[in-house]
Amino acid sequence: MNNKKDMILQVKDLQTYFKTDEGVVKAVNGVSFDLRANETLGLVGESACGKSVTNLSIMRLIPTPPGKIAGGEVIFEGQDILKMSDAEIRALRGNKISMIFQDPMTSLNPFLRISTQLSETIMLHQGLSKSEAHEKSIQMLKVVGIPSPEKRVNDYPHQFSGGMRQRVMIAMGLSCNPKILIADEPTTALDVTIQAQILDLMRDLKDKFNSAIILVTHNLGVVAGICDNVCVMYAGRIVEKGTSEEVFHDPRHPYTKGLLKSIPRHDQEKKERLYSIEGQPPNLINLPACCPFHPRCAHKSNICTQQYPGTVKLDDNREVSCWLFQSH
Amino acid sequence: MNTQEKNNSQPVNEFNQPIKGVSLNLDAWRRLKKNKMAIGGLFVVLFYILIASLAFIPGFPIHSYDKIILDHQHLPPSLTKTAGDLLYEKTEKKLSAIAKKRGRESLNEEEIQELKDLRHQIENETMEEDGKTIKVHQRRYLFGTDYHGRDMLARIVFGSQVSIGIGIVGTLTAMLIGITIGSIAGYSGGRTDYFLVRFIDIMYSLPYMILVIIFMAMFKSDNQIQRIINLYIAIAMVSWLTMARIVRGQFISLKNSEFVEAARSIGASKTHIIIRHILPNTLGIIIVFSTLSFPQFILAEAFLSFLGLGISAPFASWGSLISDAVEGMDLFPWRLFFPAAAMTIFLFAMNFLGDGLRDAFDPQSKNRL
Amino acid sequence: MTKFIIKRLLSIFPTLLIVITICFFLVRMAPGGPFDLEKTLPKVIQDNMKKKYHMDEPLWKQYGRYVTDLVFKLDFGPSYRYQDHDVSYYIGKSLPNSAMLGIIALSLAVFLGVGVGIISALKQNTLADYIPMSIAVIGISVPNFVVGPVLMYYLALKWQWLPTSGWIMEGGPKTIIMPAITLSLVFFAYIARLSRSSLLEVLRSDYIRTARAKGLSGRVVIFKHALKGAMLPVVSYLGPAFSFIITGSVVVESIFRVPGLAKFFVQSALNRDYTLLLGALIIYSSILMVANFVVDVAYSFIDPRISYK
Repeated sequence: MNNKKDMILQVKDLQTYFKTDEGVVKAVNGVSFDLRANETLGLVGESACGKSVTNLSIMRLIPTPPGKIAGGEVIFEGQDILKMSDAEIRALRGNKISMIFQDPMTSLNPFLRISTQLSETIMLHQGLSKSEAHEKSIQMLKVVGIPSPEKRVNDYPHQFSGGMRQRVMIAMGLSCNPKILIADEPTTALDVTIQAQILDLMRDLKDKFNSAIILVTHNLGVVAGICDNVCVMYAGRIVEKGTSEEVFHDPRHPYTKGLLKSIPRHDQEKKERLYSIEGQPPNLINLPACCPFHPRCAHKSNICTQQYPGTVKLDDNREVSCWLFQSH
Repeated sequence: MNTQEKNNSQPVNEFNQPIKGVSLNLDAWRRLKKNKMAIGGLFVVLFYILIASLAFIPGFPIHSYDKIILDHQHLPPSLTKTAGDLLYEKTEKKLSAIAKKRGRESLNEEEIQELKDLRHQIENETMEEDGKTIKVHQRRYLFGTDYHGRDMLARIVFGSQVSIGIGIVGTLTAMLIGITIGSIAGYSGGRTDYFLVRFIDIMYSLPYMILVIIFMAMFKSDNQIQRIINLYIAIAMVSWLTMARIVRGQFISLKNSEFVEAARSIGASKTHIIIRHILPNTLGIIIVFSTLSFPQFILAEAFLSFLGLGISAPFASWGSLISDAVEGMDLFPWRLFFPAAAMTIFLFAMNFLGDGLRDAFDPQSKNRL
Repeated sequence: MTKFIIKRLLSIFPTLLIVITICFFLVRMAPGGPFDLEKTLPKVIQDNMKKKYHMDEPLWKQYGRYVTDLVFKLDFGPSYRYQDHDVSYYIGKSLPNSAMLGIIALSLAVFLGVGVGIISALKQNTLADYIPMSIAVIGISVPNFVVGPVLMYYLALKWQWLPTSGWIMEGGPKTIIMPAITLSLVFFAYIARLSRSSLLEVLRSDYIRTARAKGLSGRVVIFKHALKGAMLPVVSYLGPAFSFIITGSVVVESIFRVPGLAKFFVQSALNRDYTLLLGALIIYSSILMVANFVVDVAYSFIDPRISYK
């Protein structure tokens, strides 16, 4: 992440909070990362670690009565997205930055035809006429591998299978040639074989459409398969950053180590117990400002319970947030 | 995680965050407590039920609901004046009006004597009540009286016993029959379910309140107890339909859940699964629906009484009181106002409570994520 | 799609037959008969009357006779009580009035209710939400036989803006106003609450999030994407609502002296006028069935998952 010229997105110290009756949930608590053109960045972590909320914050899709983007900057094309007007951000969504979601069953409007849902984005952002947009929709369906696209474009979502629906979502996401495609757990709801197909599709299309991808997942296998760089998240913070190769072969943060150790290996002795990290992720309500991982950490020391370790740059690429790598 | 007990408060974890036990119903109760309108509604409902229950105890400090004192006909409500005062005022006003009509400014001898006699009667007339002799015209009527001189407050309280009773009977019957039939149909599927759905479809094709009306009209009797029983039967007949539908819907969606599969795999019987596994998960929606349909039963009875098919004098229900009052509405507005207000406030409270319960059991309402 | 419609339409007939049968025997269940209430006549005359109306025949025979007359000749039979005309005549005169009142009331309730519900949902937790919703709670707590007289008292007696009773023929269109408002109030309240909660729920769905993520404006998201799904529960409700409007009209027609069909229910039941009662019941059931059919078809137009298998 050193080539500043190629930088298309810079997230700086993003903080998103939610007000609940029991207190404030700091879902995203100081997240920073950069994204270069054509890069595939993975955001990995357990459920409720803040990875989805990070993406929704970038798109400013956080519902604002309970939620609030409390601080930070998201720089895209020289402007801070968090300070844009509503009209400006709407011009970005679906156009320069697209997002596809986890559950294709519920993420498509069951009451509208696919043609309507595809064409409306194209007509809105690219100014095409209805028939032109319709043609382009058929093209997009072909690109994502839907057979007989001219016929199927007039169908309703419930007439597609799960994998097909996700392809349709990808088609919608890429239809306006976005610079960034944010994919929020795109394969989690699908069968393993379909997962592989969808990931292959995304890899091909990324090159074809020249988009960068932010891929959110809890599946390390997916990260290894398709991501150039990876950010590991825990309790609303990024605990480790690096290229996927480096992070997989040489994890630094105790949490990352634990994650990798938890992956069952086929060359493991059958009699050994499967490893899992002890304990549970913390309750994010009124979480004090210490290291959130310390109750589950084998290497914890006193300072871990009192202060949050800032981000330490290890060498050009690697970053870790852990007291093991800092003097105190 | 290790937990440390603090001195007297809840256990906390390493982050000094309190550890709370979580169960679905406890969660819902906590949410309900935060909803002020719903809690307000709950208190109002409990208050009504308390008064209605206490009124069964002899010696409850209100007048009896059926004592007819014709002299006290149509007295307006009053906090301070006794019946005698009001009677005197009324007669005085009437006599003055007559005098004025006849061109006289003041009352003549005859009229003054009439007033004097009235005054004497007011101070001395007595009657027996609860074995004691009391001065009739010392009575106070907080809500006024009706056309037979009966105390409105007492009749409203009595009416609340009848109306709330009907709400309870209707709701309990709906729950009992509706849950039984709905659960069997929803869980068994197949032909049992098919016939039940057909039956409910047919019932929906009949304006079933009309059937209730017809039933009440056909079996109308002069025996008040019989009428109340008929009322209960009629309402029970139609009350279980929607509950059965809802329970059936829930069962159909729950019976394919994994926890049911798990229970089946360890050999649990059908009844056991229905009662111990699926039913508790349906409880939330059953409670919500029952609370929201309680007002419907009260309104249904009120409706029937209005048509003359329900309760009638000397018994009273909110509905019968209102329907009696409609005619003389402009002259004696308190006869309509107090029963209508009593009923409306209760239904209001019930509806707020029902809304609150629904919001409490469905955590995805309002501002929640 | 058309297959679905035809299938649904055809299923009305067997249901109708069952309803007619149930009603026929139901109506005969009550003790007493249509002529018991007359002054006691000599037995010979009573027997002759019974013969005239075929009441000396066994019940199943009477049933068969009734159904064949009804189905093949559309003949509802003579009224047992009002012997001037037969049932078709009375129904024919009163049905249009009830129908007009019911349709106006329901339309009022739907258009106002949905409109108010949508506004309340969009302006959630502001005054534009609290005020209509409070009125709505009042609407479902106060029975129509309180609303009616109160309206009549203020609008007709005290301020004299509207006539107290009567119907269009003699009084002009102003006479519809109070009965329509009284009848529609509770449905307006229910539909407003239903639309509001339904829209709020739809706005929380994933597919609305997708629509927003595509950069669509708020207006497009609400009217193009959210509204269809939000209206489904309202459309479903319209079926039972028809039934309740019929029930409600019994009271409203009586308070405002509307010459409609509803009065026959109570009266004929009390009079044991079997044919008139049966006729009214069957007409209303048929209307209900047609209404439910229309509602089902409307529902399937909105939700393609129903009709596109």
